Amino acid sequence: MAILVNGDTRVIIQGATGKQGKYHTLKLLEYHVRVVGGVTPGREGAQVHGVPVYGTVAQAMKETPVDASMIVVPPAGVLAAALDAIENRVPLVVVITEFVPLHDALKIRGMARKTGVRIIGPNTIGVISPGKSKVGIMPGFIYGEGPVGVISRSGTLTHEIASNLTCRGIGQSTCVCIGGDMVKGTDFVDVLELFRADPETEKVILIGEIGGAGEELAARYLREHPYPKKVIAFIAGATAPPEKRMGHAGAMISAGFGTADSKIRSLKEAGVTVVESLDEVIRQCR
Amino acid sequence: MKLYEYEGKALLAKTGISVPKGGVVAGPTEAAVVAAELGYPVVLKSQVLRGSRGKAGGIRFAADGNALVREAEALLTLSIGGERVEKLLIEERLTVARELYAGITLDPLTLLPQLMISPSGGMDIETVAHSTPGKLYRLPLDPLDLPGLPRVIDLVLMAGLQGEEMLRVAGTVQNLIRAYFRYEAITVEINPLIIDAQGRVLAADAKLEIDDSALGRVKETAAFVRTEYLLDPLEAEAKAGEIAYVRMGGGNVGLVSGGAGLGMASMDMISVHGGAPANFLDLGGNATRERTAAALRIVLKTPGVEGILINLFGGINNCESMAKGIAQVLDALHPPQAIVVKMRGHSQDEGWAILEARQIPIVKFGTTEEAVLLLMEKLKERGVRGSGHTG
Repeated sequence: MAILVNGDTRVIIQGATGKQGKYHTLKLLEYHVRVVGGVTPGREGAQVHGVPVYGTVAQAMKETPVDASMIVVPPAGVLAAALDAIENRVPLVVVITEFVPLHDALKIRGMARKTGVRIIGPNTIGVISPGKSKVGIMPGFIYGEGPVGVISRSGTLTHEIASNLTCRGIGQSTCVCIGGDMVKGTDFVDVLELFRADPETEKVILIGEIGGAGEELAARYLREHPYPKKVIAFIAGATAPPEKRMGHAGAMISAGFGTADSKIRSLKEAGVTVVESLDEVIRQCR
Repeated sequence: MKLYEYEGKALLAKTGISVPKGGVVAGPTEAAVVAAELGYPVVLKSQVLRGSRGKAGGIRFAADGNALVREAEALLTLSIGGERVEKLLIEERLTVARELYAGITLDPLTLLPQLMISPSGGMDIETVAHSTPGKLYRLPLDPLDLPGLPRVIDLVLMAGLQGEEMLRVAGTVQNLIRAYFRYEAITVEINPLIIDAQGRVLAADAKLEIDDSALGRVKETAAFVRTEYLLDPLEAEAKAGEIAYVRMGGGNVGLVSGGAGLGMASMDMISVHGGAPANFLDLGGNATRERTAAALRIVLKTPGVEGILINLFGGINNCESMAKGIAQVLDALHPPQAIVVKMRGHSQDEGWAILEARQIPIVKFGTTEEAVLLLMEKLKERGVRGSGHTG
């Protein structure tokens, strides 16, 4: 089982011929991901590590069914690439690229909601179902197979939590990095809903951070729809000063909204085990 | 990028929004020329990007030339929220009949831009939202299906306007929506939006923030230069190297991290274990050897830093190049500070070998918290203060 991606997932890589694209095509192949094509307009006919490159998503889909796309094009090209994938109804589109303009992200999110295409990101390391498949840029070997689901806004905190679990013999069903930007395709609530129905997932770790309202919305969802699995949460940024932007475009407290306190309080009220240290997250999974 | 009022007004004017007559100046002589053209009385407005200008005495009035020079000189020596006033906007003084509020910002709940109108202009809009939420009229803006004039008119009617005035305000709001999308703004705000004694609808103030990721294609902002509000030279150095760095002041533990979330969590763990973070630093994607070295140099220069936690993952970056960057700085500077590195991911063995050759303690399989504890222990061994900070 697991969610979003598994061993059968057929993946295309939009931007496969770029430097990052080539590197991560290789990393996906090494992880035994079913990479069925690359897409770069104007580069049709090329090959990247033996993977055929197409000019458009439609061309790729003429040759092979596609279950997911990973977008690694530069920021200015993300909107066109995402719309290409959405118009061709690729069910899952993972936008790795950082610094996607806000107004492009708004359009992508809007189009995805209209068509039912699921977008993960932008500004994400992607999704991995350890031992099965990944549509992302995470080093696969620090993730291990097992019963814990992970949802995080931050890429490196996903690495941190997953590798800490793995090193202590606790595996993960699927790790989903929803991305560090304010406007993104998939929110905490969407992923909680998927983990609810996944028999392989026994516990869920939710890694939030200051800014935005995603954690508060997750708390509301958990309160209103009693959840059958233990949820453990950590909120990063309790010591960050207000009104300063901490790297992530989404991580800014403004006018008292989105503070660590507000998130911790609402998650606790929803019955979530909220911990104050990263190591406590691991202890709570034992 | 936050815009100065005069820049924001120039952009709004291009979409058809009326703004008071005026000009921006850098000195009293220039101010007198602009004021003479406008005719007295005039208002002098300090141009700053942060802080509440009104409360800090940053807005003055002048009825004649003598008063103008006096007030201009006074304002140009002012600092508002740590920011020096270097420019003034000299404008015609308006006779206010009514003050409204109009703004668009991203709603964190729906992740859609939201238009807000209030008949209580001139007040802090967060205060209005808190104390009289019924006086704030909201409309979500779907970027794929923007509201037409009738929807905007509905909202303006709800805010209690009528007749000609209502139509003029609705037109202004329609233009504000256009401005938000045309300039790829994160926030646009007119507070107050004024109806003057002659029935004119004018943007008496303008707060715009443009998405940094879109600046390259919003041509209207190309001429806007920013250096002045980076008061901290280290923050300026980091910005030049495109490294996200924020100084905390008073901290003793420096931080180099890859990823904003990991950076914030590392600061939290430093605080939990009795240290005081001296800075936030996120190398972001593309942590090459050079950028890693530049980041470490900045943290080494951060005043008060006695120990440094380097917390990196080889994900989009690889450990070998990051380790080379660290080694380059260590070999060149032989820094006296205690350093602990936690690093794993792509090419980790190669990265570890480079650091081990330099006797740097490495946390290979342990957690961030274990790395923090190791660093705190090293600081204690050196007899360095280790507690008593709340961060």
